[in-house]
Amino acid sequence: MSLLLDIATTAAILYAVALGLLIVFGVMGIISFAHGAMMTIGGYAALLVTQEGWSPWASFPAAALAGLVGGAVMERIVLRPLYRRPLDAILATWGLGIVIGQVITLVFGRQVQFAQSPLSGAINVLGVTYSQYRLLLVALAILLAGVIAFILHGTRLGLVTRAVIANEGLSQSLGVNSARVRFASFSLGSALASLAGALVVPLSSVDPNMGVPWLVGAFMLVLLSGSSLVSMAGAAIVLGAAQVLVSTYLNAVLGGMTIAILAAIILRIRPTGFARA
Amino acid sequence: MLSGSNLAPSSHQLPPAALIGGVLVLAGVAAVLAAPLVLDIYSVNVLTRSLLLAVAAVTVDLLWGYTGILSFAQAAFLAIGAYALALVSTRLGFSPGTGLFALLLGMGVAALAALLVGWLAFSYGASLLYVSTITLVFPIVFVQLIFAGGNFTGSSSGLSGFDVPDLDTESWFRVAGLLLVAVAALAVTFVRSDFGRLLVAMRENDLRCQYLGIPTARLKVSLFVVCAMVCAAAGWIYAGATAVVAPELGNFVSGTELVIYTALGGRATLAGPIVGAVAIDAISNFLNGALPFLWALIVGLLFVVVIVALPGGLLSLLRLGRERRSRLVPDLVEAAVQTPMQDGLVLQVTTLGKRFGSLIVLKDVSFVARAGDLVSLIGPNGAGKTTLMRCIADGRERSAGTVEIGGHSIRHLPPHRCTALGVGRKFQTASVFESMTVAECLRVARTRIERPSLFRRTPTIALPAAALEVVRATGLGDRLGVETRHLSHGEKQSLELAMVLALEPTLLLLDEPTAGLTGAERARIGELLVDLARRYRLCIVLVEHDLDFVRRISSRIIVLHQGNIVLDGGVEEATQSETVRTIYAGAAHA
Repeated sequence: MSLLLDIATTAAILYAVALGLLIVFGVMGIISFAHGAMMTIGGYAALLVTQEGWSPWASFPAAALAGLVGGAVMERIVLRPLYRRPLDAILATWGLGIVIGQVITLVFGRQVQFAQSPLSGAINVLGVTYSQYRLLLVALAILLAGVIAFILHGTRLGLVTRAVIANEGLSQSLGVNSARVRFASFSLGSALASLAGALVVPLSSVDPNMGVPWLVGAFMLVLLSGSSLVSMAGAAIVLGAAQVLVSTYLNAVLGGMTIAILAAIILRIRPTGFARA
Repeated sequence: MLSGSNLAPSSHQLPPAALIGGVLVLAGVAAVLAAPLVLDIYSVNVLTRSLLLAVAAVTVDLLWGYTGILSFAQAAFLAIGAYALALVSTRLGFSPGTGLFALLLGMGVAALAALLVGWLAFSYGASLLYVSTITLVFPIVFVQLIFAGGNFTGSSSGLSGFDVPDLDTESWFRVAGLLLVAVAALAVTFVRSDFGRLLVAMRENDLRCQYLGIPTARLKVSLFVVCAMVCAAAGWIYAGATAVVAPELGNFVSGTELVIYTALGGRATLAGPIVGAVAIDAISNFLNGALPFLWALIVGLLFVVVIVALPGGLLSLLRLGRERRSRLVPDLVEAAVQTPMQDGLVLQVTTLGKRFGSLIVLKDVSFVARAGDLVSLIGPNGAGKTTLMRCIADGRERSAGTVEIGGHSIRHLPPHRCTALGVGRKFQTASVFESMTVAECLRVARTRIERPSLFRRTPTIALPAAALEVVRATGLGDRLGVETRHLSHGEKQSLELAMVLALEPTLLLLDEPTAGLTGAERARIGELLVDLARRYRLCIVLVEHDLDFVRRISSRIIVLHQGNIVLDGGVEEATQSETVRTIYAGAAHA
């Protein structure tokens, strides 16, 4: 039982972390290396909220806002000139990641710090004592997926976004301002990344490179899922389960590589991954 | 100079570029040998490391700048070489024997790892993003393995204090410098050779290369393996010079730093990555004490600015390091064609089927074509014409049936192997190499038949008579030195046709050869095709919508409708046919 809960919560965290990246990838066709840095921004937003003595619940909207603004600025200044050079855009996001990491180091210092968790303690689930916060994450991940699905399928912006994902050239010729869609998606993706950063903070700690270890797992998840929210849920569960099982039954170091290796092999055999499976 | 053409006239011997190159190498060697005499010991130490990183950056440039493979794994290969020496010395102590063993071990392990990464990364249809992701996974796995090795590999603290060759700091600097000069000189020679143009061709249009019979995946894996071994050799020197190895050396952050050096200096210049690596790494070491995080911030900002505003890198500001393309336009000569002109069966398609899931695109398609035939495939949009062409040129495409070329089944062979059986495929939209000259495109097209030189650019291009005729008849012969992006649409189509003919095919597949051409160009292509079929006994299968054109040139017409052959007969028969008229008029018959 505890194993199942581990798998569910691990998958939920992976999902929440990769969600922002998925939106950016779907619309812009690039993997944002700055995703890790945006998570770090979210982590420090949570830290500031704690230091100001506000309710830890406020760290989530604060992080999302910080990410939204940061993403909007980055898209406008750096990424817009690189639409036609996707590989360069990826490198530029890596550069942005370095810049953000260094600025944070200069402002907050290198040391590891801790932020307060909105929920602590454990509750009893079907005979197992389990961390309340990890369970909350599952609910939040589902909620986030729901909100994004609603935005994509229930709003005009979502309709236009899906059109750009399917065929950017055609959308443009139909009068869709694809630059605005890209701007909105990158901002939203960054906001989600920062939010994810704030979400993982209570599980670990805050430091200037806290986002980097999440980066590759999130990449893999996104590459495996194409641009579908549903297939990403499948991918998150499979990879999360593999990671938990390997860490539990083999060893933790191997567990750390599981996602990367498994995803690489799945993609070799089946380049579309979980999409349209 | 291994492979050379004995046709080379003496005026091409010892071009000035070779002299300049020789002088530069000598200057490099002299600088490397003399530098420790004027530098203080700290600088020598720091620069030794920078020179070795520059070697790795050169491999990043070969892979990324020239071939389009963005690799984040080069630092990990360097670390493998470093760890090999560290581990062997820790266990066995250092002697010339163990040192050599460590070098071979490091290069061997790096080669095997590169082979594995390459096999994963360069599969059929893999996107560039996937390739980069795999090279990103590799350093992560490497670091985890070092962690998993515990005391044996030194885990997170690395290994230090192992025995190393007894050389002083200055000598290590010279060893590192000489390696860099050697690698740089070889790399420059390589990228300027015929083979070097092939790297660019793969970067620009991998698919066209495959259909030119070039095993692109294998070539890329080979290049990747060689680059990994060079990095491992640099890593051996690194471990020897510093007597310390740590996992950070090979993590993916180090890998991205090499990419940053390359981008900042200027990709596809070779000089750029060297300048970038030496300058940034050395300055980092000098400044990190004074401005710990600010310098990294500056590098990050500079990197972003260069990527956005100066894709050619800082070196492009100086207009140095730009690839100097020799203005020498090669001469075209006629190649002796070995393939006998056969009159027999060239293409035999038997009960071929193709389905995408539940959608049946082609069903039970059977026909034959002989040398000298000019068969036109016609039919409305969606009839499966282009799919049929693809199934003939790529053994992995069809779902049922057999295809035989000149009596050999294409089984499930990939395009480059089908090309070797005699298939030449011209795409619907002209598919050439945009940044290369007409002559270079033609040379790349000859790769399958004449192994390109690794060391030099041959001054002549031998083409079969049919290709020469296309080049001459369409006026491309006067534009050999022009980059293909400056050609008109019609000229690109003709160039691609000439490239395909350069393969000496027995079966020529043309997908709408006249699309987008003017009336005059159409007529000329028509004459050419008829001539190719008659005089050179080529078997030509073409897809075409222009029925007048088809009527004028074809010896036979096959009509496809909804995945079936509804008519296979002479021109008269097809044009008189009631069925064909119904299909094209879109009448009740559905």
